[in-house]
Amino acid sequence: MTGSSERREAFRAGRRAILHSLPGAAAWGLISGVAMVKGGLSLPWAIMMSLSVYAGSAQLAALPLIAAGAPLWVIVATGLITNLRFVIYSAALRPYFANESTGRRAALGFFMTDFTFALFMRHAQHGILPERHRDAWFAGVCSNNWITWQVCAITGIVAASRVPTDWGLEFTGTLALLALVVPALNARPAIVGAAVAGVVALLAHDMPFRLGLFVAAIAGIAAATFTDSRLPREASDTGSRT
Amino acid sequence: MSEPVVGIGLAVVIVGLALTTFLTRTSFLLAGSRLRLNHRVEVALRYAPVCTLTAIIVPDILQHGGAAFDLSPLNPRLIGALAAGLWLCWSRNILGCLASGMIAYSLARVLL
Repeated sequence: MTGSSERREAFRAGRRAILHSLPGAAAWGLISGVAMVKGGLSLPWAIMMSLSVYAGSAQLAALPLIAAGAPLWVIVATGLITNLRFVIYSAALRPYFANESTGRRAALGFFMTDFTFALFMRHAQHGILPERHRDAWFAGVCSNNWITWQVCAITGIVAASRVPTDWGLEFTGTLALLALVVPALNARPAIVGAAVAGVVALLAHDMPFRLGLFVAAIAGIAAATFTDSRLPREASDTGSRT
Repeated sequence: MSEPVVGIGLAVVIVGLALTTFLTRTSFLLAGSRLRLNHRVEVALRYAPVCTLTAIIVPDILQHGGAAFDLSPLNPRLIGALAAGLWLCWSRNILGCLASGMIAYSLARVLL
């Protein structure tokens, strides 16, 4: 196989890897789109926000503040803090893309989301990523996620009054993330980390600027790392591969 | 509070959100090319997905009505999540997981 057909194959494999989870992206995008319009944004602003920001949780966090006329820096700071977890994702992805060009790393970062990041890491940790062209594989995952999310978000923006919001469709997005969490709970450090993250997320839910999510993630990661360091060496190494 | 943010203010907010999202997502991917992660940090990052996703979904699952969290077995989202989780224990089929979770959630919401 030539290099470029290998790349195309990796890209297609990435698109296939996310296929069955796309209903989650679709429902989450749709409801985010509806929420932007119901939150008071006019159609062009909502579409612009969806295309340029592409971060559902930050957008939803900003909406009530925009509607309430909060100071601009407060709105942006809330978005920034909601997004802090991406800094951790970025550090975790770094080793896999260290040899890519700056432009390609910037593009892969722009299109990374909670779901696509976690899917990539799961494949990496199970050793089921393609040997070469991982960037193409990830681009395949992210492109399917982006197209689905944007088409559904813009549908939600345009047809806001006709989309049922009382069916809890957005819960599909939560379940898609759950489908990545459950199989990862296969060793003690992950279980301890998730338990700590979940409890702290509840306790810190009312922290200002949506800081609770980041605090919970850090607490969970610290607990998991501590538990990992207490495992016998071999067990820890197997833990990393399963 | 005051009037909603509109016009130039709204443009500033959208540009600000787009920039901060881009900067957080690309932070380590772009900066620190000579950065070597020590072993401890590598181990920590291994647990980033499961911990962060759990921190996102737990409040989502436990919210019910106006309450921030409802641990009662009658919380429809909790029922939906349990159904989806049970499905995942015997099958890795994601579509089935989403469907079983949404069906259980919807039934619980209508019936309970």
